Amino acid sequence: MTGLRAAIRLAPGIALIASIVAIGAVGAAGQSARRPAGFAPARLSDGRTPDFRGIWQARGTAYVNIEGHPGARGLAPSRSIVVDPADGKIPYKADARARRQENYRTRATADPSVKCYQAGVPRATYLATPLQILQSPGNFAIVYQDNHAFRVFHPESRPHFDAADWWMGDTRYRWEGDTLVADVASMTDQVWLDQAGNHHSTEVHVVERYRLIGADTLEYEARIEDSVVYTRPWTLRTVLSRVTQPGARIVEDECLEDAQGVRRHVSPSDPRNLLRADYSRWTRPARP
Amino acid sequence: MRPVVLAAALCALVSGCGLSAQSADLPRLPDGHPNLQGLWIKSAGGFQGLFIGSLDGTNFAAPGGGRGDGRGGRAGGGPPAPAPYPYTPEAEAERQDRLKRGYEDPEARCHIPGVPRALDQPGGLYPVQIIQDEKQVALLHEAMHDVRIVPTDNSPHPKTYWAWDGDSRGRWDGDTLIVDVSNFNGRTWLDMAGNFVDENEHVLERFRLLDRDTILYEATVTDPTVFVRPIEMRFTLKRVPAEQQMLEYSCLEGERSLQHYTDEDGGRKRRAK
Repeated sequence: MTGLRAAIRLAPGIALIASIVAIGAVGAAGQSARRPAGFAPARLSDGRTPDFRGIWQARGTAYVNIEGHPGARGLAPSRSIVVDPADGKIPYKADARARRQENYRTRATADPSVKCYQAGVPRATYLATPLQILQSPGNFAIVYQDNHAFRVFHPESRPHFDAADWWMGDTRYRWEGDTLVADVASMTDQVWLDQAGNHHSTEVHVVERYRLIGADTLEYEARIEDSVVYTRPWTLRTVLSRVTQPGARIVEDECLEDAQGVRRHVSPSDPRNLLRADYSRWTRPARP
Repeated sequence: MRPVVLAAALCALVSGCGLSAQSADLPRLPDGHPNLQGLWIKSAGGFQGLFIGSLDGTNFAAPGGGRGDGRGGRAGGGPPAPAPYPYTPEAEAERQDRLKRGYEDPEARCHIPGVPRALDQPGGLYPVQIIQDEKQVALLHEAMHDVRIVPTDNSPHPKTYWAWDGDSRGRWDGDTLIVDVSNFNGRTWLDMAGNFVDENEHVLERFRLLDRDTILYEATVTDPTVFVRPIEMRFTLKRVPAEQQMLEYSCLEGERSLQHYTDEDGGRKRRAK
């Protein structure tokens, strides 16, 4: 038990270091410093499957603009998390670039996230809210706090469900050693990749790679292919840190309209929680 | 042998019977608890029954689309209408009022259904995926992409957390998973017919694997400010064949159905936008 406690106490420091190293390596894919050799993840009860369970969260602010953005009041700057091409820019075709600029101009109202829509893949991964990986031998699912979206990962032995355009896509996965490789298709073109209006079409095909590079650090990579919108496939990469606070949990994140008709996410533990003032028709004594 | 068989049959029907008895042939996890994992779908019964309602209490699922009091109907071999809810007089008045305002059903606006409505969806419509390990049981509902992650450590409820789904804490009692659900936000409707609970709702759920393909689900719902006595509900979840998968229920995204609820409110306002 002593070893376990020590690991927990050290965890925030490890996660912080890992994050810094990862940010420093952006734009230089394949740097060996980010990839400590020989890290052996814990295993599930089958003694074989890498154990990715836990609550994870991106610490950066790439959710604002995955191509990078300067800092602002209360907002840390972010470098591009696009690692291929090396210039950190999404290789848009000309008309797709124009739509991106239009999205950017109207982002305050046009961002699907403003309308409480599910975030899509890969955007859900690097939001400002955590996600939880649920896992057991043969089962893998990710629950995102944002809009209580979730994805059930299905074994790759089955073909994609290809009869719909979904917000969170249709996911098939396999293990390559200790790396989980997920193939995502059947996604709508209504989702964005970030708050800056980066986008894709219904032809998008995402290959995700999840890999533990430390006990509390999960590397996430997404290769995004869409011949309608991009001139070539491109790749983003970031790291998620384990949320180690005792009692930490995914809280219910429901999106409601406030008195001004503006939709916003409200966490039940948020003191500004609208729910408490919303018993308009049926008021009862407050719970003790 | 006859009394033994009878006792076993009763155990299948009545909760709290033989809890400590371990059935040898159930699928189990390495920790010894029954393996509830898989994709499941409600077979029949529950509060919602087959009520597909409207603001005047019409049950479109009843034979001939009969008009009733909106408390569920019997259609195509469906369940009998549930017994009237034991409302307090004030709550009964509120419920009658809500029956005329079906468009205010939170689920019509794609909100989280709450407990037990998340599982008590109209029979056979929306499955639930269960993923389980030695520390928790997670329920991933297709309907409203509602999620409940239930720790099975019998930990206490938090003091400052209220939610549509409340807060679920579980424990194993023999082969039965017992889930205590509290901390509701008070906005939940139990169905489309105006039946409701408030923030004093408390649910005790029991999940019991009867055989490889059947979970018996039972829930006791208490709410001292709405009901004069607890409500009991019970239905079975049947395993969905392995070649099937859950689909995406993106409700709010491109929502177009609210206008069907009523022309006075939802419809006209929405079209005016």
